[in-house]
Amino acid sequence: MSPSRRRLLRTAGVRLLSSLGVLWAAVTIVFVLSRASGDPVALLLPEDADATQIAQMQATLGLDRPLIIQYLDYLGGLLRLDLGESLLYKEPVTSLILERLPATGLLALSALLITVVAAFLAGSVAALRRGSAVDRLVMGAVLVGQSTPAFWVGILLVLLFGVQLQVLPAAGYGTLAHLVLPAVTLAIFSVAVVARLLRSSLVEVMGQDHVRTARAKGAGELRVLLGHGLRNASLPVITVLGLELGALLGGAILTEQIFNWPGIGRLTIDAISFRDFPLVQGTVVLFAVTFVVVNLLVDLSYAVIDPRVRSEA
Amino acid sequence: MTPPHIPTRREALRLGVYGSALGAVGLTAGCGSEADATGARALRIAQKSEPTGLDPHLESGLDGMNVLINIFDMLTERDAEGELVPRLASGWEAIDEHRWRFRLREDVVFHNGEVFDARSVKFSIERLIDPETASTIVELRAVDHVEIIDDHTVDLVMADPDPVIPEKVSLFGGAMLPPRHFAEVGAERFAAQPVGTGPFRFVSWRKAQLLRLEANEEHWNGRPAFDELHFTAMPNPASALAGIQSDVIDMVSALDPEAALQLEGYKDVELAKYPGIRMYFVVLDTQHEILRDVRVRRALNHAVDVPLLIEAVLNDSGREAATIVPQEAFGHDPDVPAFARDPGEARQLLAEAGHADGFTLRFTSSNEDQLVCEALAGMLGEIGVQLDLELLEPGTFAERLSAEDPSSLGSMYLTGSTGWTLDGGATLQSYVRSDRKRSRIRSERADAMMDTIEQSIDPDVRLEALHEMQQWLHEEAPFLFLYQADLDFATNGEIQWEPNVNGTLAMETAR
Repeated sequence: MSPSRRRLLRTAGVRLLSSLGVLWAAVTIVFVLSRASGDPVALLLPEDADATQIAQMQATLGLDRPLIIQYLDYLGGLLRLDLGESLLYKEPVTSLILERLPATGLLALSALLITVVAAFLAGSVAALRRGSAVDRLVMGAVLVGQSTPAFWVGILLVLLFGVQLQVLPAAGYGTLAHLVLPAVTLAIFSVAVVARLLRSSLVEVMGQDHVRTARAKGAGELRVLLGHGLRNASLPVITVLGLELGALLGGAILTEQIFNWPGIGRLTIDAISFRDFPLVQGTVVLFAVTFVVVNLLVDLSYAVIDPRVRSEA
Repeated sequence: MTPPHIPTRREALRLGVYGSALGAVGLTAGCGSEADATGARALRIAQKSEPTGLDPHLESGLDGMNVLINIFDMLTERDAEGELVPRLASGWEAIDEHRWRFRLREDVVFHNGEVFDARSVKFSIERLIDPETASTIVELRAVDHVEIIDDHTVDLVMADPDPVIPEKVSLFGGAMLPPRHFAEVGAERFAAQPVGTGPFRFVSWRKAQLLRLEANEEHWNGRPAFDELHFTAMPNPASALAGIQSDVIDMVSALDPEAALQLEGYKDVELAKYPGIRMYFVVLDTQHEILRDVRVRRALNHAVDVPLLIEAVLNDSGREAATIVPQEAFGHDPDVPAFARDPGEARQLLAEAGHADGFTLRFTSSNEDQLVCEALAGMLGEIGVQLDLELLEPGTFAERLSAEDPSSLGSMYLTGSTGWTLDGGATLQSYVRSDRKRSRIRSERADAMMDTIEQSIDPDVRLEALHEMQQWLHEEAPFLFLYQADLDFATNGEIQWEPNVNGTLAMETAR
């Protein structure tokens, strides 16, 4: 095995271990915080439950055991990929999450696709026409997009396309038409972030020597943009896209609420408001795993895209 | 330097994931195929949340009950006038303090053809009270076991006397399950595909999307007018509004007054208010150094302008209440007067009690009732009483309500209570007797009256005790008496249906 390869493997191993550390920390923090938030039994039982019934319910749910035992029990379950049973729905957390995951995944990935397409278009146009009216217009729109809260955009889109024009369903799930408004709502912020970054990155790259060389060799402007500019400008953009995917999952919580989208976001809100500890922990583990995996992938993708990173690894 | 080669793997991967996810949606949309195509007449209802499950013994939330009451029949029910009338039980009586006898209808079958009889009642009630079931329904705690007298007669044998058992089997705790079928499929599969005797049968449930029921042609009370019932959870009132306007929803239930106000004035949206039984009142800590003086407690009552509160904050969705027993409940005393709105009188009472310069009280509430609390703070401010408001997240507030330490709720707290059994004792029991966690009253006389209300099975004796209790509450003023909230519904204007006073969505009468 070549030394560089060994180094790469070692780096990957260290990254994997630290990712596990991050997951453990996330699980522990959520475990402690959710316990500190109070007792779910008060919310599960009606208001005139008596002390016996409360004690009985706590015992049934295992909430009367010492915290450290509950914690170790939970960690043990995690190792077996068992996230426990929801207090509210009395079903395994894993199956509840799997039920809702496709809807959120679809929403987040659609938003990511919109982000990639729209941001690359807007960013490139603005960079190529730097300083022009088009640049100012696009960047102005982007600024508005970045500073407008998603829930407000969502409500405006519902009012316009769902209620006034009645061209798209205002809420619900099932067809491509249902996907449009929530995906656009969710994407708007990311589009703005990525477009701005891409513009400044492109402006820098397009001024570099190899681009001038390519132009001098007679390459057309589009070819220069695609072959030299975007390829080199995309490295920071990929980092941000990775982070944005995480943000999209988080943003899905609000967007799903507005559009009645049957995903993880609504599940999480229910879980939090009922102090459904296992379910809250389960969704947090899911979010943490997603972030960690995306970050790993982003790091690895550097090595693939940019040979300089590869040789340094 | 040669430009790096752009790998297509990542894009390919992403597109692949995207494509398969898209495929999955196509698939669910395909197998869902909502009934519109079949021409069935569906009533599409939105409420805040959906059931947490479909096992009626594990569901103690009202939104869940709203679905279950259409699948399962209860032993008794409330009619449109609020009277307790037969449902699966044809009659009932107290044999003695420890025995309630129910006679059963004889022409009832479950959705799977199983016959409903005394064994169904014994199985259902004994499963509910079995600790193994871990039911969150607490109403039947005084029942010890059920005895079968003959095929269509059962006795509920009580560990402790409970005069309101017939009322308690009209909703939570009254649902009848098929014992043979349950034994065959087990609890889990039963909850996935529930079988009752109710006017609608379960069809399908896609979580967080749609729960479908269809009319039960063989129902003993006749076939319901709608072919299907669809329940959707819409936590956000703006979605519900858009839902009605874009014809995705026919009816939104249990709107809070603010949400209802949002819907007002839109074309195609009809708002309806019906009298409801949820009582709102402020509990005053009668042990508190200032509030232990009855003159202070009366002064606070004189200072609060309840009709103004109802008009300005609740958008007229409520009725002033002089007591904490709902008007429709057994034992409500109509002769108890509301406190006169009289800030002058209030100031004078405070001066007599030695508080001419006013004082500050700590006031706790759920942040869901923020507007009401702020209005109260304004009104009490006018007589020199400052409120130090602590508005809590609803979960935290609920927890403090049942906490051992009463001081966690401050010297006064706002509460809402729905005594769905429509018995006057329902609201009183948690807030009056000195050994209850939510009570801030320490009175032997009140405790004695509560014992009569809770344990006597003679209606006349109870009625007398309930009236005496409400007059005593008026004298002692351990509460700020506020209002009884209305039920707000929004529809597309094409549904004919009225909720009864407990507000549940029993839809067999909808046209």
